[in-house]
Amino acid sequence: MTDASLPAAAPAPRRGIATDLAVGALLLALAIAAPFLIDSRYVLGQIVLALFWASVAAQWNLLFGYAGVFSLAQMAIFAVGGYATAMLAQYLELSIWAAIPLGALIAVVFSVIVGLACLRLQGVYVALLTLAIAQVLYLLIVTDTACFRMEGTSCRQFTGGATGFARFGDFGMRQLLRGDWMMGNYAIVLCGFVLTMVMSWVIIRSPMGLAFKALRDNPAYAVARGVNRFHTQLLVFALSAFFTGLTGGLYAAHFQAIGPGLFSLSQLLFVIAIAVVGGVGTFWGPVVGAIVLMLADEFMREAGEFRTLGLGLIIAAVTVLLPRGLVGKAADLFRRRP
Amino acid sequence: MLTRRSLLRGSAAAGAAGTALLAGLNGARAQAEGDPIPVGAALPMSGIAAADGIEFQNGLTMAVDEINAAGGVLGRPLELHVEDTADMGADLVSQAMQRLIDRYEAPVIINGYNSGTNMVEMDVAADNDVIFCHYNTMISHNNKFKEDPERYYGCFQGDPPEYYYGPGLLTYLNTLIESGQWTPPNRKLALIPSANEYSIVIANAVRDQAAEYGWEISLYETVQFPNNQWGPTLAKLRQDPPAVIAVTHFLPQDLAQFMVQFAPQPMNSLIYMQYGPSLPAFKEIGGDAVKGVLYSTVVGCLPDEFSEAFRSSYRERFGENSSYLTGSQTYDGLWKWALAAAIAGGPGAPFDREQAMKVAASMNRLIYRGVNGICRFDPEGQSAFCYPTQIADASLGMPHQFLQHQDVAADPVMVAPGSYAKAPFMMPPWMS
Repeated sequence: MTDASLPAAAPAPRRGIATDLAVGALLLALAIAAPFLIDSRYVLGQIVLALFWASVAAQWNLLFGYAGVFSLAQMAIFAVGGYATAMLAQYLELSIWAAIPLGALIAVVFSVIVGLACLRLQGVYVALLTLAIAQVLYLLIVTDTACFRMEGTSCRQFTGGATGFARFGDFGMRQLLRGDWMMGNYAIVLCGFVLTMVMSWVIIRSPMGLAFKALRDNPAYAVARGVNRFHTQLLVFALSAFFTGLTGGLYAAHFQAIGPGLFSLSQLLFVIAIAVVGGVGTFWGPVVGAIVLMLADEFMREAGEFRTLGLGLIIAAVTVLLPRGLVGKAADLFRRRP
Repeated sequence: MLTRRSLLRGSAAAGAAGTALLAGLNGARAQAEGDPIPVGAALPMSGIAAADGIEFQNGLTMAVDEINAAGGVLGRPLELHVEDTADMGADLVSQAMQRLIDRYEAPVIINGYNSGTNMVEMDVAADNDVIFCHYNTMISHNNKFKEDPERYYGCFQGDPPEYYYGPGLLTYLNTLIESGQWTPPNRKLALIPSANEYSIVIANAVRDQAAEYGWEISLYETVQFPNNQWGPTLAKLRQDPPAVIAVTHFLPQDLAQFMVQFAPQPMNSLIYMQYGPSLPAFKEIGGDAVKGVLYSTVVGCLPDEFSEAFRSSYRERFGENSSYLTGSQTYDGLWKWALAAAIAGGPGAPFDREQAMKVAASMNRLIYRGVNGICRFDPEGQSAFCYPTQIADASLGMPHQFLQHQDVAADPVMVAPGSYAKAPFMMPPWMS
């Protein structure tokens, strides 16, 4: 599909752009100030985690919320980005800085293959097939027992097997900043997050984004207007995968470890819950969702076994009472004003 | 309520060697009345490993109470803080540990096991200069420590790594043959792991060293996790019956089902299993079919006189269905640290590298006889030495225990290593 075949973009509402810029500037200012106001590595670490999950949820939101593709392979793509980064750094001894973008490109290749396999289907069948592919990938990794090379007394499987990868390199902040290494890692992850969000915003506001939304809202009409459903949705798969894979690489480098646990259904559901709570199909939804769910999780830490129940109740309540999520509800309230 | 006097009296019966030593080190500070020492624990209190997480917490609670009754560490009582690691993994566990350090300023973190972390916990401990002792049972701990001993000086694995399950099992099988207790029909060994890290790492450890010990792997079949349909696997085994079937999948209900499905058409094969047979559900579901099953563990409360008081106190306090085999691990870990910290002159605090190094040196010097046996750290990897596979002296290594279900109505019996064994190996009923 070429740009010529995409419908011309409607003039973006200036008020919307101004609001996005204002909100973005405010959040960015807060994010930049955070490490100077917070002296706890734990809190900073939690913000780093929130940035990771917000980024992954934002990319899933691009896929489902804007393009209407109900993919459940999001954590698999994230894991592929992380695994590719780790494997490139470990086996080819690439610098982590080179491995991360290459890992993101490998995530794109994986995602395009997934897209080619499932985008001829629609709706729930896409969800089922993407989930199945993610589970197959997980099983292929954990059941990889063939010895690829020996490391000391241990046998290393090519895919890392059930143990995954560790000690393949990091951002180098421990050597550079010593006790303040978390601030350095935070800055890098924040840059990655900002890049992801800016690119998502540009895509959503571009003619490409309009094509995504047209296919989501009225596929028959969009196709009649010349939008190629298969090509357009494959494109969104690839774009979303690049930034998801990039986030996966950053995750692997931050934690200096990556393992098959990332393929778990609970992790996938948490990412989806972030988008749902914040508002599917809204640009700031995943950010708000990540803040709300991470904060709620934090406040319920002392609740023991009720912690999971509490999170479940929040997600259920938002789904029932605010079907457009927190950001969607806020937008509705502003719109009602005379 | 525990008092110092009652504890000392009780511990004499229990054989808790550390109590008298700690009380001696505390000297005049008979009452633990100083500033509390925060002790951190990042445990899986929810999620799939919650049952074990609760036992790890129980073990720590018991140790804290006993240590405090003995005067704490140089007069300072211990205060336990637990962080939930839920589904575990590198992110959740490292963040839980960082929270313990930031929020409570814990100078020590005693964990049970957390899976899927790739030992990222060691970086948290190193970055904050705290002592970290865990029971992940991973050779990756040793490998990581070896890479940079100066950085990971405060990281200890309280039990031998899973690597020793491999040579341990193979050595035990050869001992049975050499002592004439068993004549195998062939030298074939079938390995049945399930799709999870613990199970596969152990199976690989056996597979990688089988040839060296004169064994041939006739089948390596990875099953789903969980799995209770063993028909296809049993059919493959029956096509070429091996002398030994080693099932490294660990869920007790699934392992019991294996035996139930194996029993109607048994083979002339020894059956070795991992972890699950130590839990009550294995016998409850498997019934008579489990009689003769062998299993082993590199860490667990010994069924000896020394540990008797611990076992009975544990069950009395936490219920008849509680598992002291799990709780004993963190119990010993905290006791060993408390003694080491007292010897070193105090626990220190996060970022107090000098004092943390003194405590670490003390941990390395101290040979501690706990309820799991001897804990002495191997300076090469800072994991507990494994007896008899790694070290031949029973007084210097944690015993790799082999147990067998010989009477379904009674507890399993320890059949190896020799110096700890309570009964000889019994030929399983399906083979006799």
